[in-house]
Amino acid sequence: MRKLRAMTTFPAALLACLALSVPARAADKNEVVIGACQPITGRFAFAGGAINAGLQDYLAYANENGLVKGKKLVYVYEDSGYDTEKAVATFKKIMAQYNPVIMYGESTGLGKAIAPELNGRYKVFYGSTSFSSELADPKNHPYSFVSGPTYSDMFGILLEYIAKHRGKEKPRVAFFYSDTEFGKDPIPYARTRAAELGIDVVAEIVTKVGAVDVTTEVLNLKRARPDYVIFQGYVLAPIPEVIRGARDHGLKTTFMGTFWSVDKTIIDKLGQDAEGYMGVNPYAYYWDDAPGIVAMRKYNEKAHPGEKYRPNSYIQGWFTGMVYVEALKRVVAAGKPITGDSLKDALATIKDWDTGGVTGKVTFVSNKAAVGRVYKANVQKGIFEPVSDWIHVK
Amino acid sequence: MLIGNYKESYAADEALFRTATSRVWLALLGVAAAVFPFLAGDYLLYLANLMGVLAIAALGLNILTGFTGQISLGHAAFMGVGAYTTAVLAARLGLPFWVAMPAGGASACLAGMVFGVPSLRIKGLYLAIATVAAQVILEWVFANWNAVTGGIRGINVPPARVLGVALDTDLRIYFLVQSLAALHAWAAANLFRTRVGRAFIAVRDRDISAELMGVNLFRTKILSFMISSYYAGIAGGLWVYFTKVVTPENFPLSLSIQFLAMVIVGGLGSIKGTLFGTVFVTLVPELLKAATEATRSVFPDAMSYLAPMKDVIFGAMIVAFLIFEPHGLAEMWNRTKRFFALWPFKK
Repeated sequence: MRKLRAMTTFPAALLACLALSVPARAADKNEVVIGACQPITGRFAFAGGAINAGLQDYLAYANENGLVKGKKLVYVYEDSGYDTEKAVATFKKIMAQYNPVIMYGESTGLGKAIAPELNGRYKVFYGSTSFSSELADPKNHPYSFVSGPTYSDMFGILLEYIAKHRGKEKPRVAFFYSDTEFGKDPIPYARTRAAELGIDVVAEIVTKVGAVDVTTEVLNLKRARPDYVIFQGYVLAPIPEVIRGARDHGLKTTFMGTFWSVDKTIIDKLGQDAEGYMGVNPYAYYWDDAPGIVAMRKYNEKAHPGEKYRPNSYIQGWFTGMVYVEALKRVVAAGKPITGDSLKDALATIKDWDTGGVTGKVTFVSNKAAVGRVYKANVQKGIFEPVSDWIHVK
Repeated sequence: MLIGNYKESYAADEALFRTATSRVWLALLGVAAAVFPFLAGDYLLYLANLMGVLAIAALGLNILTGFTGQISLGHAAFMGVGAYTTAVLAARLGLPFWVAMPAGGASACLAGMVFGVPSLRIKGLYLAIATVAAQVILEWVFANWNAVTGGIRGINVPPARVLGVALDTDLRIYFLVQSLAALHAWAAANLFRTRVGRAFIAVRDRDISAELMGVNLFRTKILSFMISSYYAGIAGGLWVYFTKVVTPENFPLSLSIQFLAMVIVGGLGSIKGTLFGTVFVTLVPELLKAATEATRSVFPDAMSYLAPMKDVIFGAMIVAFLIFEPHGLAEMWNRTKRFFALWPFKK
């Protein structure tokens, strides 16, 4: 037994080394390789799988319909576990192995960590799961884009909606956010924007993500008596707890959320208490009748007959795929070679782009698609319905 | 086959590597490490650098936990202290890396001193909880002391420069990382041949007897915390130059636990075990990923289904280790070495 163990240790170690040395794959002239570090496991897994499916499905859809003339899109993804170090390793691995011209990243952290090498060395077109305003910055992140409005923009959209629907008195708003980058990102902008629009910020409440006991926070809300509460930096918990608590105290406040907290799950979770819940979503929902969404449903009926519903994160992935394909189309139409540089230049030319209603008309300003719509929960139907037109952010 | 190991001088008796064979292998390892970066691609180089940085921090934890017997669950936070100090000095004040990084080590050392004080009164699980407090407090400071740490957005750090060359690629920083890792491993190995290091071991084995033998418990424990945190701080500083950005989310409790896993899997109280443990904990998830990827040609969607399994397998492997090899990888290594030392005369 011992002999066996000793004899197997070295070959095992050798095999391990071989497995990790990645051979580069031969390139095909008619292929466009798109790599992705997807957060399929880890803290972001709730959305990672769906984002990956959305991106993958759209690229397959584009191949089926020949959207990029004469090119076959090859999608290569790997799990990166929502861990910046692992994600950077995965990024480098995919780059070495497949040499893609387009990459997709799992987090804001990856976007920041890879930036020096992305700008200096890899120069690939880069989309990601992130809505952080830090990445929508053509100066420091020329190759990156945000496939939607940033969190700040989403706050802007909600605040504009509030200002438009104000009564005689100044609207009173509370910000309720988590103690993370995701939670705090839009807050400074939201404060100044609220002041500009003549909205009183009557409370700012900060909690941990997934906080369970929110009694004190609810009491604070009761004291501040806001007309609106905007959540940021949560996916689910503690939003249902806060809303239930507030209803128990008889508060008439309207609760609102940004992208991650306006999925159907929140209505399912809250039941009756979801009545009046609002939020901003950059995209249309899976039940929408816009032609782009109908095409998405048709594709799913054919390719994944078991899937009856796709969450917002799926649509985010799908839309990112649309941006990739649109940029590719423009580069191919112009007869330029497909590189990160030509793709990023093509992105800048996208103006009033009709996405078939997956989102509003898109113009890329500061490398972001700054458009979104305000939705309201309809508890009877169990869906969100739009209460505004597409709002473009400057 | 090794027949005997005679020592004919004090120098031979004090040597760290005692046999010609081990010195030859060590030299070969050195050559391999020097040639490796020119053969390996970006991905392997990145992993090698990552392991180098983590190994320094893990060595620090093994000094504290493996050799002195003080459990710490705040190691990642001390690494964060070093990382932030280095980042602030390098990015805001423009100090060179050979000032900023030792300063990071020193500040972590001070933090370790402060948070090590409770170790005089409490032991074992209680101490573990007290060090979790360090983790929580420091993480909060990273996220909320906006003026210094830049809050949640963190600090972007320019690359280190050596003789005017910016260490901005994996290849260039490789030599800095690996030589520092080697230096710290060497220093740690030598530490336990001194009075201080022996005192650490004495405290671990039975603190009351150690005190009876004249070991000042308070001083020894605090010193162990300081040295351990210094290692973490240096690792943090190096980490900053390696990733070029530091945010509060980089040093979570789970990283502290990961360090503990490295030390335990590698072998508590073993320097080379720490290195093995770091390699194991870093590479095995990557290997499992490579394995799922190998099935891509057969099952194109294997990654979506198998990716979550990877964590399960990794967890099971650690449990298996604790059961079948409680002394860690270091003991496996020793057994393999013994086998070859006696080969072919013993089965």
